[in-house]
Amino acid sequence: MQNLIAFISRIRFFIIFFVLQFFALSTYVSFMSAPRSSYFTTASYITGNLFEIRHSITQHFLLENNNKALQKENIDLRKSSSLFLYSKEAQQSRVEDSSFAQQYEYTPGLIINSTTTKRNNFFTLNIGELHGIKKGMGVFSSKGVVGIVHNTSEHFSVVKSVLTKNINIDVLLTEVGASGMLKWSGQNSNIGYVSGISNDISIPLGSKVVTSGGSGIFPRGIEVGLVKQTRTVEGEASWQIDIEFSQKYGALENIYVVRNLFLDEFKTVQNQ
Amino acid sequence: MSQLKIYFLRLVLFLFLQSFIFNQLEISASIHVMIAPLYLFLLPFERSKLSLLLMALVLGIAIDATSNTFGLHTSSLLLFAFLRPLIFRVFSPREGYDSLKSPSIFDMGNRWFISTFSILLFSHHLWFFILEAFSFNETLLILQKTILSGVISFVVCVILQTIFIKRTG
Repeated sequence: MQNLIAFISRIRFFIIFFVLQFFALSTYVSFMSAPRSSYFTTASYITGNLFEIRHSITQHFLLENNNKALQKENIDLRKSSSLFLYSKEAQQSRVEDSSFAQQYEYTPGLIINSTTTKRNNFFTLNIGELHGIKKGMGVFSSKGVVGIVHNTSEHFSVVKSVLTKNINIDVLLTEVGASGMLKWSGQNSNIGYVSGISNDISIPLGSKVVTSGGSGIFPRGIEVGLVKQTRTVEGEASWQIDIEFSQKYGALENIYVVRNLFLDEFKTVQNQ
Repeated sequence: MSQLKIYFLRLVLFLFLQSFIFNQLEISASIHVMIAPLYLFLLPFERSKLSLLLMALVLGIAIDATSNTFGLHTSSLLLFAFLRPLIFRVFSPREGYDSLKSPSIFDMGNRWFISTFSILLFSHHLWFFILEAFSFNETLLILQKTILSGVISFVVCVILQTIFIKRTG
């Protein structure tokens, strides 16, 4: 017994180290898969506000480019709205509203903190539960897909961006009609890749990649990027398709959070 | 200023530098400058091993909270604090450590600092990038990141000491 106590006190330091290390690693692994609280992330009250302050200083650096992007989006929207079109036939100037139902709701927000060079990059938004943001909602910008909401607090939320391991967003190659999974290899913030498309389909370079809406998070057709290169993977019957993201994530500020109003219905149908 | 005050101010300074300056520096995908280990390294020689671990825990959680890494920094700083006494024992001078001196590059000399700090910093970085990638397919990328970031972090840590630490003697 005496020996045992002596032994334990000798390795006491190692035991404490081991316990603390276990604590740190288990929070790391569990937060990466499914976060349970927002205390130790940038969604928390203190760090959220710190980044809000930092953002209020640095926001002006990107102002010009962001204004241009928003202006371009406005022009595109005006072009497509029936109110701004010249109608050739007087009776058809209005869209028949009763034949459409609103499926997606959009909440505009700002990115107040982001990184693009780490292995897993998370963005902090200045909107949270108060604005109806929930875990699992999609986030996109006027130029392309951004990520999925990972964690929320009352006033802030953290987005798991497409620049992370295992982001797995359903995407569609419009020109060939094949769908696959969007992934990121961690080296270049402008290049991602699509896996899961069988290599007997030939993929023309420069084909457009958009979201497929397959998991009900994003509407169909949000831009992701253009095909840059196709590569074969040893021992697998599918391509690794390198794509160039249409959005440069380093200079991104204005985003929209998308909420699928039919998501519950979509999930029940899929689970049946 | 009392010793305690200096170490507290230094803690705030390191937290600020790491979270708001070096974590936001986006030089390239392989370069992630980490200076937090230097804080643990510069704690006095006579500090108990246990207080080192607790310090690493506090520092790690604070950095994780501002960089969305959820325990990644905590884990690697704990490893750093665990290895520090072992490495210090290996490189201990013949007459033991002088408790009046601090483990900085000025007090202990270039050779001692380079050998101890580079081993500790390298293991810290390696552990960090292995956990971050979490897969064996990225071994080359992990090594590239460890070496590039390690060298740059080391240089930054030397520069920080020349700026913030008063030379004695």
